[in-house]
Amino acid sequence: MAATKANGSADAPIEVSSAPAVIGINFGNSYASIAVLNKEENADCIANEDGERQIACAIAFHGEEMYIGNQAKHQLVKNSQNTIIGFRNLLGKKFSEIPADKPTNSAPVIQHPDLPDTAAYKVQVLQPAPTPLPTSKVTSAAATPSASNVATPRSEPTPTTRILTVSEVTTIFLKSLVQSAEDFLGRKVHGVVITIPTWFGDEQKKALEEAAKDAGVAVLQLLEEAGAAVVATTSAPRSDKDTLGEDRTQLVVDLGASGLELSLLSVRQGLAYSLATLSDHTVGGDAIDDRLIKFFAKEFTKKTKTPLTVAPATEPQDKRAEAKLRLAVEHTKRTLSASTGAATCSVESLKDGLDFTGAINRLRFDMEMRPIYDHVYKQVQVLASSAGLDLYDIDEVVYVGGSASLPGLDEALAAGLSEDVVTPFTAGTVVGGGVGDPTTLLARGAVLQAKLLATLGEGSAEEREVKAAFAPGHALQSVKATTRTLGLLFPEEGAENALGGQWVPVVLRETALPARRAVRLDVEVGEGARVGFEVWEAKEGVKITKEAPPKLEGDEDEEDEEEEEIETKEKTLEKEAFLAALTLEAHKARKVDGRLRTTLEVQFLVNEAGGLAITAVEADGGEKVTLAIAPAS
Amino acid sequence: MSHVVELPVVAPPTPAGWTPPATTGQSIAPVVERKLIPAGPAYLAHVKRAVHQLSFEEHDKHAEEERKRLEALNGANGNGEDDLGVGDEPEGEDLLSLDPKEWKKQDHYAVLGLSHLRYKATDEQIKIAHRKKVLKHHPDKKAGVAGDSNDDAFFKCIQKAMEVLSNPEKRRQFDSVDPFYEDLEQDVPTEKQVKSHKNPDAYFFQVFAPIFEREARFSRVQPVPMLGAVDATKEEVEGFYDFWYNFDSWRSFEYLDKEVNEGSDSRDDKRYTEKKNKSERARRKKEDTARLRGLVDLALGLDPRIKRIKQEEKAAREAKKQKKTGGAANGVNQKQKEEEEKKRAEEEAKKKEEEEKVARAEAKKAKAAAANAAKKARRAARADGEA
Repeated sequence: MAATKANGSADAPIEVSSAPAVIGINFGNSYASIAVLNKEENADCIANEDGERQIACAIAFHGEEMYIGNQAKHQLVKNSQNTIIGFRNLLGKKFSEIPADKPTNSAPVIQHPDLPDTAAYKVQVLQPAPTPLPTSKVTSAAATPSASNVATPRSEPTPTTRILTVSEVTTIFLKSLVQSAEDFLGRKVHGVVITIPTWFGDEQKKALEEAAKDAGVAVLQLLEEAGAAVVATTSAPRSDKDTLGEDRTQLVVDLGASGLELSLLSVRQGLAYSLATLSDHTVGGDAIDDRLIKFFAKEFTKKTKTPLTVAPATEPQDKRAEAKLRLAVEHTKRTLSASTGAATCSVESLKDGLDFTGAINRLRFDMEMRPIYDHVYKQVQVLASSAGLDLYDIDEVVYVGGSASLPGLDEALAAGLSEDVVTPFTAGTVVGGGVGDPTTLLARGAVLQAKLLATLGEGSAEEREVKAAFAPGHALQSVKATTRTLGLLFPEEGAENALGGQWVPVVLRETALPARRAVRLDVEVGEGARVGFEVWEAKEGVKITKEAPPKLEGDEDEEDEEEEEIETKEKTLEKEAFLAALTLEAHKARKVDGRLRTTLEVQFLVNEAGGLAITAVEADGGEKVTLAIAPAS
Repeated sequence: MSHVVELPVVAPPTPAGWTPPATTGQSIAPVVERKLIPAGPAYLAHVKRAVHQLSFEEHDKHAEEERKRLEALNGANGNGEDDLGVGDEPEGEDLLSLDPKEWKKQDHYAVLGLSHLRYKATDEQIKIAHRKKVLKHHPDKKAGVAGDSNDDAFFKCIQKAMEVLSNPEKRRQFDSVDPFYEDLEQDVPTEKQVKSHKNPDAYFFQVFAPIFEREARFSRVQPVPMLGAVDATKEEVEGFYDFWYNFDSWRSFEYLDKEVNEGSDSRDDKRYTEKKNKSERARRKKEDTARLRGLVDLALGLDPRIKRIKQEEKAAREAKKQKKTGGAANGVNQKQKEEEEKKRAEEEAKKKEEEEKVARAEAKKAKAAAANAAKKARRAARADGEA
């Protein structure tokens, strides 16, 4: 008989995919997500074997078993002392640097008994007894009289304590993530891009890199979360419906479980740099949870007359109830984000054997969360002013993190932003795993970055240098950027605005140099077939006019109430410096609606030093005019 | 210039009174230092420009080359993208309105969009074509489309076509009676048509080459010698006719069988139909063999190369004889006479053969008629007996 192959050991009949086996991991403090490249080489966030796309960063030990991810989170109820959560933020930190005051309901952070100044966790596990040696079929001459063919039963596992450093915990967790991705892909993973928060220092990066190395996976890059957000949002194919230009100011709102991270980015044709960042650990998903469980606890007390104080809870019974509620409201939050109706929260035997079922609708929820939304809004204002910008300068908002999926937050923020700001909610890309889905955005950005890095060669010195430029702190990352907007001004007789003509911005302020921008537009041709325009530097600003609200008749008696003024904001533009003027003869004018019109292409090339070269061409091979302006010496 | 931003604005005309202001010599405002986020293709492009010291135009060129190279690479390994030349055929109204019940009458190749390949389509191509059609016409795809969402008639036609073409035996049977070639077989030129053409030699090759190419698909022996060119050697021409007179065809006519009446369980009925089908098949096969033979006869008769070869042979023999006899006039006369005699004998033989053929055919017909008559008589007798 021919040798048979075990099932599944045969080679795949067709090549599965040509996409490189790289993955992106969004490694948050509370949740992680994995993204891979699909057949079309687009990024897809995948679920782990539990079917979870949002994988909780938790590891629990129970007896001989080790639980990773969302299963481990459930251990927080009964087995909290052996459940490790929130380890990412401790990476690369010395034990002495970790604030010890926070009460936890999980495995406490302790000083490692052997290693100096190292944070570790102590968990109780059952160590499996070693398997007995298999009984030998050939009984030796010196066989004991009691030798039998029955296998010796395994002895009982022995309870021991296990000390795990933060790095080891991270390694275990990353390994499980990579394993999930490999199971999904059916191939070995060659490289991974992991996202890191902005505040990660060199120590933290080093620690994470080492943990990943121990997990047996090559880290292509540790990518800042803002970078991943940029990659994910700018790599989507542009459609005609996009109102957003390729040059925009982006606000990244990362409202995760454990904190708020805000970044204001200048994105110029995909090239991005940070204008300002802000991180705040007082709000976040946990704060939302706190409010929500307080709300439900109150309702429980009202319904059952059983006292229940949570967040923070003191009684052990209350603590258990809190942990149960915390798990339950997770579902409530998701339901609320997904649908407009009410969401329920059900817990069996919440306290004293009493079950609880409560419901909350979106309006009520938003009311409860109003302080958090306001806090986020205030922080956004602080961020914008620290960058010297106004909220009206923001063109796009990108939400990151599970808690940012709340539509109420978007509504609260949108109130302060300009009307034509693009958010994932206005663009309708949140639902159904669209481009703007806050929970998967970072992982998808990371895998797209991994795909990019995987294509880089290492053959020549130059190629190696290109690759090195992605390392943190590389010299090529520091660039010069413009401070004023450069544009064209088409003079107009009797223009209504203060500029005296039609203004066409070409190179926006905060554009990294060298930069090239080209615009094509139609110009009406007047007498003499001459087309002329001026090149100006302009200063953009926001005019705020305050107005007293129109008085209503009925308001007369409420004089003592403070009059609130209505703020109206308006984008303004000021000509600042005249640079040059160009004229060309229109030869290719055509008649449109009875008026002569020609198409003009103007290209601005700003070099690193700030020198400007302008090329203006009439389309279809018309006249070409060039002009150069030397940089300021 | 890549990345040209199309602006929807229309700039006003330059006023007549406008004069370009004199250049002030001012340069742009001082630049500031920023730290880029090392992410995304734009950053890669930025780094590449800096490292390789390229201008924007040069970088554009490089990127374009790279893109083309990748495209070529992807095209070469044929990763799912290559459809092996199946392509897309337009689907006419009459094709889409086919009735799956009449599947025997449909052109399966046309249904799968393979009418440009027909019998040449490989199994792989058929698979691809089927997949393409299913993706387009699957009933699930039509669920949301306005109109009759239950209308999966064409999908059934596709499935039927696939059923026929994916089974080698069924495909052979269908190929044997491919309706597309059936039509072509009808318009074989007559002897008169060829001869009356202003350039009969060229016309002969122009007309008969595709005919033989078409017929070659039925041969069990492959490769099949083709008609060849006007200057083919004697061996080639002889080899060609030799092969075609001994043509071994796999063509069969099961596809045109009459279905056994489903409703009746009668064994007699079934046997009768089967018998009829069998004889019909044999008749068709015989007809086809005769048709092919006639075709080869026609070609042989019209082939300008045969005449040329004969002439060459004659010239060679004459030269030989002349050498032998030393050019006796008598010999030539004799030779001519002999030639004439031979020709006449040949012609007579041919005529006889023709007559015989006719007679044979007649005899066959008579026999068939007799058999029929006998059958009728038997039946009548039976009927009488029963009555």
